[in-house]
Parts: sequence; C-alpha cells; structure tokens
Amino acid sequence: MTFDAYAPTWCPGCGDWGIRIGIKTALEQAGYNPSSVLLSFDIGCSGNMNDFLNGYALHTLHGRAIPTLVGAKMVQHKTKAIVVGGDGGIYGEGGNHFVHACRGNHDMTVIVHDNMVYGLTTGQVAPTAKKGYKSKSTPRGIIENPINPLALAIISGATFVAQGFAGDVRQLVEIMKQAMNHKGFSLVNVLQPCVTFNKVNTYAYYMTKTYKLDVKYDPSDRKKALTKAMEPFEEKFPLGVLYNVKAQTYHEQWPQIEKNMLIENKRFASFSDITKKFV
Amino acid sequence: MIVKHVKIILMKFNWKIGGEAGFGIMTSGLEIAKVATRSGYHTFDYSEYPSLIRGGHNTYEVVISNDSVSAPKWEIDMLVCLNKDTFELHKDRLHLGSVILYDPEDFQPDSTSILIPIPFKAFKKECNIDQKMVNSIALGASLALLGGELKVFETIIRDEFGKKGEAIVKENVELAKKGYDYILKEHCPLKQILQKKKGERQMVVTGNDAFSLGVIGADCRYYAAYPMTPSSSVLGTLAALQYQTGMVVRHPEDEISVVNSAIGAAFAGARAAVGTSGGGFALMNEALSYAGVAEIGFVLFLAMRSGPATGMPTWTEQGDLLFATFAGHGEFPKIVLAPGDPEEMITLTLKAFDLADIYQTPVILLSDKFLSESHTSLPEDRVLKLLKTHKIDRGKIVAKTKQGSEYLRYKNEPDGISEQLIPGQEGIFYQANSYEHLEDSHTTESGVERIKQVNKRDKKRQTYLKKHFAEPTFYGDPKADTVFISWGSNKGPILEAMKILAEKFKRGFGYVHFTHLYPLDEEKIKDFMNVKYNHRRILIENNSHAQFGSLLRMQTGIDIKEKWLKYDGRPWWPEEIVQRLTNKS
Ligand SMILES: Cc1ncc(C[n+]2csc(CCOP(=O)(O)OP(=O)(O)O)c2C)c(N)n1
Ligand code: SF4
Repeated sequence: MTFDAYAPTWCPGCGDWGIRIGIKTALEQAGYNPSSVLLSFDIGCSGNMNDFLNGYALHTLHGRAIPTLVGAKMVQHKTKAIVVGGDGGIYGEGGNHFVHACRGNHDMTVIVHDNMVYGLTTGQVAPTAKKGYKSKSTPRGIIENPINPLALAIISGATFVAQGFAGDVRQLVEIMKQAMNHKGFSLVNVLQPCVTFNKVNTYAYYMTKTYKLDVKYDPSDRKKALTKAMEPFEEKFPLGVLYNVKAQTYHEQWPQIEKNMLIENKRFASFSDITKKFV
Repeated sequence: MIVKHVKIILMKFNWKIGGEAGFGIMTSGLEIAKVATRSGYHTFDYSEYPSLIRGGHNTYEVVISNDSVSAPKWEIDMLVCLNKDTFELHKDRLHLGSVILYDPEDFQPDSTSILIPIPFKAFKKECNIDQKMVNSIALGASLALLGGELKVFETIIRDEFGKKGEAIVKENVELAKKGYDYILKEHCPLKQILQKKKGERQMVVTGNDAFSLGVIGADCRYYAAYPMTPSSSVLGTLAALQYQTGMVVRHPEDEISVVNSAIGAAFAGARAAVGTSGGGFALMNEALSYAGVAEIGFVLFLAMRSGPATGMPTWTEQGDLLFATFAGHGEFPKIVLAPGDPEEMITLTLKAFDLADIYQTPVILLSDKFLSESHTSLPEDRVLKLLKTHKIDRGKIVAKTKQGSEYLRYKNEPDGISEQLIPGQEGIFYQANSYEHLEDSHTTESGVERIKQVNKRDKKRQTYLKKHFAEPTFYGDPKADTVFISWGSNKGPILEAMKILAEKFKRGFGYVHFTHLYPLDEEKIKDFMNVKYNHRRILIENNSHAQFGSLLRMQTGIDIKEKWLKYDGRPWWPEEIVQRLTNKS
C-alpha cells in the first residue's frame, strides 16, 4: 500500500506534479501511510489530486475542504490532517473558512496551489493574481488588489506560515515536513506555475522573483514575519518558513476529547441527569 | 396506526401575561407552567414576541388542564397586564368570567370582566426593584387567585436561581409573597385551578428541548449550528450540556461551515447533526447534495419561520416543506420527517439518526416556531423510557472491514447500501467523493458506472420505503365523515379542535397525521386513504401554497380539494378550526 494512486492527469510541466511529489515524500519520510492520514481535497486541478494520492480522503465541495476537515478532525483529532486546494477554492470561495480556521488554530496543514488562476475552469483570474492581470473573466485586467495569503494567515492566527515553489521540490519537502510536524494550523502557500493558462507567473518569472529566507531568519517574530509576508506585493517572493510559533490547538481546548478521540468515548447514558433539568 | 382518544374536556384554564420585551415575560410564563405541572396539572404554552430585544410587545400564555393538552386556547381566563397594551391587544379574547390583573396607576380597563387592581408601580417603588422583579409579584398574585401554593413556586425559583445564591431566591419568593398576600387581603381567591393534587413527575419541554433530548439519546457526538430563530435554543441547550454528555457542540463561522463540518464529522465516524432555519438551510443546500453523492448520513434540524428571506423571524409557518424536500442539486435519496409534538419529536429524532446511518444519506427533521418554542408537559418517566430503551442501529457503518485493500466503499448491493468503514483501519483507504465515482470511490465519468451508482443510490430510497417508511397515524373516529389531513405542529390544534367538535356535534371526527413526509409510498398511502375514508377530507396547513397537498399529489396522485390554509405567522387555533367547520357544515 503506497500513496501512489492513478497516474496524474495534469498538463505536462504543471507545478501540481512537483507539489504532489512534495506532499507524498514528506508524508513518507515522516512515517505516514494512506491509512494513517485524513486528507481533504478541494475542487480544482489541485483538488484532483484526490485520485493521485491515496488516503482516507474527503473530496469535498469547491471552497469547503477546510470546514469539512475541521469536522472530521474533531472526531479523530489524533490523526494527521491535510488539506489540498487551489487559491480559488481556499482564498476565494472558501476565504471565510480559511480565516476562521486560522483563528481557531485548527490542527491541520493546508497546502495551497497558488497559480493565480482558476486552472480547472480554464484560466479565469484567482484572488492572488496581481492587479491588472488579464484573464477570460477580466479581459481588461482585474480591478481588485490581490489577497495576501501569508499576511492574512499570520494576522488571522495561523501558527505556521510558509511559502514554497513548485519548481523546488527539495525545499518543498522540507517545508512540508515541518508543516506536518507543527501542532496547530499550518499554511504552505506553494507558488505553482499553471503552464496552460498563466503566461505571466511562469517558472522563469519565479526564478527571478523568488528567494530563500536566510538561515538566520527568526520565524518566531510576528512583526518581522508580517513584513516578509508583504513582499509579494512588490513581486518579491520569500521561500521558506516565515512564521512558526507554539500555541494551544483548537482540539486541545475541548475537555470532551482530552483523553480519547471523540469516536472512542463511551455512549452517554445518564439520561435522568438531563431530564431532571426540565422538570 | 389508529388512535381513538377523543376525550371530554374537563378543565382548560388559560393564563396569559403580557408586557414590553425585556420585562422577563418568558421566564415568568415558564414559571407558571412549572407551578402547574408540579401541582399535578398538564400544560401547553405559547408565546409571541417581536424580533427585538427591548420594546415591542411580548406575551406568554399557559393553558392549564387536568388532562393532556396540545394547543393554546383562544379565550383568556386570566390576563396579567404589565402594561396597557396587554389589555388593548387581547380584550377581544376575554369573557365575562375572565380575570384581569392590572395597575390602576397605568390604566383602567374598559371591561365587564372581573377586575383585580394591583398597585404594581407602587410596589416597584416601595421595594426598589427593577421591572423584571415586578413579575414575581404578579405571579404571587396569580397563584393566590388560582389557589396555588407559594411553596411550589419556591421550589422552581430554587432550581432556577439556586446557583446564583440564596439572596436571589429569597428576594423572588418574598416578592411573590407580597403579591400573594395582597390578594388575600384585598380580594379573595377566585378559583381552585392550581390546587395541589397528585400527579406524575412532569417535564416542561419545547419541541427544541425534545429534539435536544433526542440528539443526546441517539448518541450524537457532534452538533454544529449558527444561531437562527427558532432553532437557536437547541444550540444553547446542547452547548450547556456538552461537558456532561461529552458531545462536541460548535458554533462555526457560517452555515456552510456548519453543515460541511458535520459531514466531515460523520465521515470520521461520529453521529452528527446541525440545526437551522430557512435562510441558513438555503446556505446548506450544496453540502446536502455532497452528502447525497458521498453517501454520508447526518441529521438536519430545520425549524421553519415565516419567510421568504428574513421574513418574520419570530413567527411560525410551514413554508419550507417543498424546499426541504427538493433541496440540493442533482438526484439523491433524502428522508424528510416532521414530528407533530414534543413526544413525537423525541421518537422521530431517535429514528432520524438511525435512518441517517442506515441509509447513509441526509435526514431532515422539520419543525416550526410553534412546535420549537411552545412548551408542553410530558411525564418524565415516559421520556426516560424512550431514551433508555432506544437501541442504536448504525446499519452498515463498521469500524473493521473484512474487505481487502481494494476497499469498495460504494459497492453495488441489492439494497443499495454499501458498507461504510470508519476511517482508521490499517491497510485500507477510500474517499468520500463529491464527484461521481466507481465502486472503489475513484472519480469516474463512465456512462455505465454512472448509471450503476445512480441506480444504487435510488435503491436506498426503495429499501427505505419497504423497511422504514411509516404510514400516517389516524386519530379519532374511524367512521367519521369528516377527516382532517395535516402534518407537523398542526397536530396539536387539530386534536384539541376535535375534542371541542365531538362535544358540539355529538359525532366523531378524524385526523390523518403524516410524519414521514418524503419519500411517500404511493401504494401504502393510497390503501390507507382510499379504503378508510372517502368522505369529506380537509387539508390543513400553515402556509399559503398547500405544500403538503402538492407533495401528496405528486407522490401518490391523491388530490385533496378542500384546503384550509393559514399564513399570518400564527399557528392554527383549535377554535378557528371549529368555527370554520361550523360555518361550512
Ligand atoms: C460552487 C462551485 N462553483 C464553481 C465551481 C467550478 N469550479 C471548479 S474548480 C474552480 C476553480 C478552480 O480554481 P482553484 O481553486 O484556484 O484551483 P486550480 O484549478 O487552479 O488548482 C471552479 C470555479 C464549482 N465546482 N463549485
Ligand atoms: S490547467 Fe494549469 S493548473 Fe491545471 S493542470 Fe494544467 S497547468 Fe496545471
């Protein structure tokens, strides 16, 4: 039993290939197998990984990969939980859920394929695209400013925020391992060239615009992390772990599941303790 | 099932209190109801209030009876006016023997009923208390007039406020005593309505309370909701009890998160439920469809209010039946149940969780403001028996499978139901796929496989009709020539109306009460309806489109021509039904 499922159907050269290798390798190196993980896939080219990566998985609705996994995690909080989705699903359609999952410090790793377009629906603009980006749905360029996922995650309460590049799988594996090892909400925003629809944010583009965070960079400083997180607005993309702090996770604050997972608890049967309150 | 139980009415006394929102009317009303049940009587209460926190007019009425009672009563026998509006708004419901409690400093009722002036304002000043505490004086006065006991009132106050300290209990009781003594001094007790007698230990529960009890009894482990009247009290009740019951009760960021998280919880192996009203339900529709195709069962509690959109938030209506029935895009099996009273709410909630597991599909439980927020007395033993004897049936949900590593989550089975493994077993994996899928849960677009899965899902509907669908219940006289047909919370008013009608016309009436609303079994319903009663049939609904009538016709071909519809945000009153029948008969 391996993580390998169907052969991927992504376009040749698509950044999704590298991301999948990154996730799979990180999971394997960390000692997981398909039976020991809960995966939640959004809808999109990215979410199509559901058929390419084995696991106990939810292939959810567009935008809903996070809240669905939040529910599953409350029931089996000891199981490793991972979300895979696109920038459209996670920051657009499901943006509200993203913010609130950060707020709650829900214990899960959210991996976002940030390609600045909607791949699966053939190239319309995504909320991370730069102002002025021209696409099928925005022929004269997008009016809105881009979302800044890294900054948004940090100010919303995420406790681990990183950025990787689909063209650098070796670094991606390291980032993902750290993210999966983190207790609490971890975001890995992956810069992912969509070779078919995005002719601006290409591999060549990222080769010149990305840089690795210095080894001496201290990810525990929230203010510095925020400053770094703002750089993509100037088309400078830091790669690595921007922010990493310890904090109580969401499930750790529920006495009901302090010892056991929710499914392991015994059935409640002291009914008269309840009915007497209504007498 | 046939239930013959048209009994003669012995006593129904209607006590009503009214005042501005923020006066604590709701608390006082419930206290009187509990005094009645703890004195050996049965109660039904009904409250009206605007969607406001302060101002506006709030009322609470309690029918006290020596027999079980299932609806409000039109005539008011005692009206406690905490302001002039209370009198003005309700004077058309008073009779000569009605008792009116009022403060002459506020107004003088222009009425031929029995007037009991009480100087509430003077008391308020004298005792230096806030408006809410004036209610205790009014309750004490009511008790004195009705022949009730202050001691009983004290037990209720102690249960309610004991935790907040003896001082609060004492203050409330002393104020009640002030009202009580005032009546004994200035007036004389009028009625022996609340005279203490022996009776069973009774609970006083709303439909929402009953649902909450069912949720606990069914071993639901995960409940999520976003507040929306009239479903909100379930969230509060279950949240308060969660540290005792062990349930996880959450209030997520929106209804979309609510329902998807419940689906995730059910996927992970726990029984899960959500609660909402029309607007929130609309937001949940896409997820309902996901649960349909991914075959994940959960219970959705839909407490209806007057729509569309924000509508009249604190008023009642049965306007979302067709919406619930057809909610979610695409075709998938879904079960819609509608209890008619709190006891049925418990029974059907327990059943709903079983059905959600057995059929691995969403089950919608319909309520409305009238059922969700009206209290009824229920013997505690009966409730405990329902909860304790309930055996949980999780159908084909298993923690261990005998299948090999090629797990067939959507295996084609004759009854349409595949084994659902709770994630965790070593050597196995599968997905809960929102795309059409193969038996092994991988995505497919093959026409052949598509048809297989569509048929498989539809087989679950057929299996349900064979195994778990329940015919309507018939109440009343099987030979009746006039039969009412309805569903949901109309049950109570119709049954009360039938008691009055039987008295009045000296003949029996019938009521066909539907609880399993969708899907309906055409043959069974036809047999039930055609064989027994082909006389005058009257469809009663609390909406303007006769939605159940449409659903019945669509699913069975039965067309009920005579439709009585009400959609002013108020429930049917028994007397209204009686009057309408009298006028038309
Ligand atoms: C509610 C809903 N709206 C729209 C769609 C159509 N849709 C499918 S994928 C997608 C966007 C995909 O973009 P993204 O999330 O960025 O993922 P990518 O394909 O780029 O990996 C959309 C709009 C849908 N499936 N569901
Ligand atoms: S359309 Fe873009 S994102 Fe989708 S597979 Fe092709 S290259 Fe990748």
